[in-house]
Amino acid sequence: MRRFVLGEFTEPDACVEAARRLREGGVQGLDAYSPYPLHGIDDALAIQRSKVPVVALTGGVLGALGGYTLQWYLNSRAYPINVGSRPQHGFWTNIPITFESGVLIAVLSIFFGSIFWFFRLPRTYHPVFESERFRTASLDAFWISAETSDENAVADLERKFREAGAHKVHTVAEAT
Amino acid sequence: MAEAVLDARLLPLPLIEGAQDDGTLNKSLNAYVWQAPQRGWLALLLLGMAGTGVLFSAIALTVAKGIGLWGNNIPVGWAFGIINFVWWIGIGHAGTLISAILLLFQQKWRTSINRFAEAMTLFAVMQAALFPVLHTGRPWFAIYWLFPYPSTNSIWPQFKSPLMWDVFAVSTYFITSLLFWYLGLIPDLAALRDSSTSRRARIGYGIFALGWRGSARHWHHYKIAYLLLAGLATPLVLSVHTIVSWDFALSILPGWHTTIFPPYFVAGAVFSGFAMVLTLLIPARRYMGLKHVVTARHLEAMAKVMLLTGLIVEYGYLMEHFAAWYSGNEYEQHIFFVTRPRGPYAWAYFTQMFCNVVVPQMFWTRWARRNVWTLWIGAVLVNVGMWFERFNIIVTSLHQDFIPSNWAMYYPTWVDLSLLFGTICFFGTLFLIFLKFLPAVATSEVKELNHELAHGAE
Repeated sequence: MRRFVLGEFTEPDACVEAARRLREGGVQGLDAYSPYPLHGIDDALAIQRSKVPVVALTGGVLGALGGYTLQWYLNSRAYPINVGSRPQHGFWTNIPITFESGVLIAVLSIFFGSIFWFFRLPRTYHPVFESERFRTASLDAFWISAETSDENAVADLERKFREAGAHKVHTVAEAT
Repeated sequence: MAEAVLDARLLPLPLIEGAQDDGTLNKSLNAYVWQAPQRGWLALLLLGMAGTGVLFSAIALTVAKGIGLWGNNIPVGWAFGIINFVWWIGIGHAGTLISAILLLFQQKWRTSINRFAEAMTLFAVMQAALFPVLHTGRPWFAIYWLFPYPSTNSIWPQFKSPLMWDVFAVSTYFITSLLFWYLGLIPDLAALRDSSTSRRARIGYGIFALGWRGSARHWHHYKIAYLLLAGLATPLVLSVHTIVSWDFALSILPGWHTTIFPPYFVAGAVFSGFAMVLTLLIPARRYMGLKHVVTARHLEAMAKVMLLTGLIVEYGYLMEHFAAWYSGNEYEQHIFFVTRPRGPYAWAYFTQMFCNVVVPQMFWTRWARRNVWTLWIGAVLVNVGMWFERFNIIVTSLHQDFIPSNWAMYYPTWVDLSLLFGTICFFGTLFLIFLKFLPAVATSEVKELNHELAHGAE
């Protein structure tokens, strides 16, 4: 059963510094929580570069190619209409829709990719919500959590948290 | 030697007033959501809902009886329907400019107003979308014929038309604005969930917050996703109204067929959009207790943008008239120098010129930019002027086109007027509901801004 050791901070810089110290001290499964993004937390927790731009670019390119191909195929091959003898395939007249479909697919892939893949949301239950005090994480306090499956490690982690300067240090367990 | 003290007039106005911290901001910005609905809100909501009823009746009549109930005739085939469409889409563009473009330019004054403006965009685009569907006359076919889907009769749309480009542009714009707005809302919904006092509120906000816990690992992706969405929404502001302007520019009608339209329309959209943001924001900040985050600095910045875009629009007017004269084309010259200023709709022409050219000039003075009354009245007049600009472009150009035997007068019917008035009320109703249930100010972003300002970070 997973346990989460939680500690609260009132200052964002203190939280970032503590996260760095804990990670450098060898603590695994760390995460930090804040009402707005913390400066320097990505370094402190050694978070890898995000792949969101790759998803966006792929979506954009696929959308644009798809949009152009759709127009070319439908207007030239599937259902050609003679409109004042204009050419069936218009490169320039295809551009506006190509651009818009590129943007649309990029936006859809960024949004749904972020929510479902990168954030792994919706997930209205998470063990850290077992703590009512944790609710301030979205309001005005900063928290750090360390995840562990080992019951015996909890006391040591709580000590490390206190040394790093956390208040209200406590542990919650995942509800079974 | 005494140190020179900087003149108080040269110091920038504050972005956030008073000493605030995360706790006070959280309380003050969400206070309106938690408090019981007040009489003013209820009264406005009732009026709005009555107007929405008028709208739905007018729509039902239009669908049931047809466009004969509108004032459209030959030659004036497009009138209120398309005027309203362009007017509402134009209004929508300011919201995206504030949320997306000002983010890319790192303008801190966007932070307190972007949620408000982006909501305005969504509701404005919803109003706009009604008209292309209704004006087709048989709107039950409109969806069939406009969207490319495999139908049983194997018909596909003609993509070379600006009217088709509009379909993709407006749909993309609506979806992008909605998703960008929602992504920004997620942390604030989490804050509402965590500060709710009733179980029902916690569950309601909790569902829409999707379980956001403010994890740094999530924020890491979130920041990039937000920036990328802003970067994609930015070209949309330019492209959507450009495509709308091509509905006119790609025709051959004098007064429509001009290359100045794309930039002129985009500037006009931002102009009317900022006017609508000011019209809504000035009363909202007073009655919702937001003066500490929407300060004189924000209002002044918006007035400056209005002045700038107003000047671009004026340049557009100048160029239209110049090109018509310089072309030597008798039809162009007739529209610009006879029909519009001296024809039967000359009163509409001078209303447009007064509201769009004369009124914004007052924003050159600091006094007018800082006085809420001049700002509000000026903003309302600009919106009126922009509506009349579209009236002049569409109706006056159509009613006296090439051959005099084709000329005819246009008069709106009460259905036309009900649709316009009804969409304004529907927009207002949606907006009031938004103000009551969702934070009108992006709480997490303002907290971040407050923290940055307090620590002198740039």
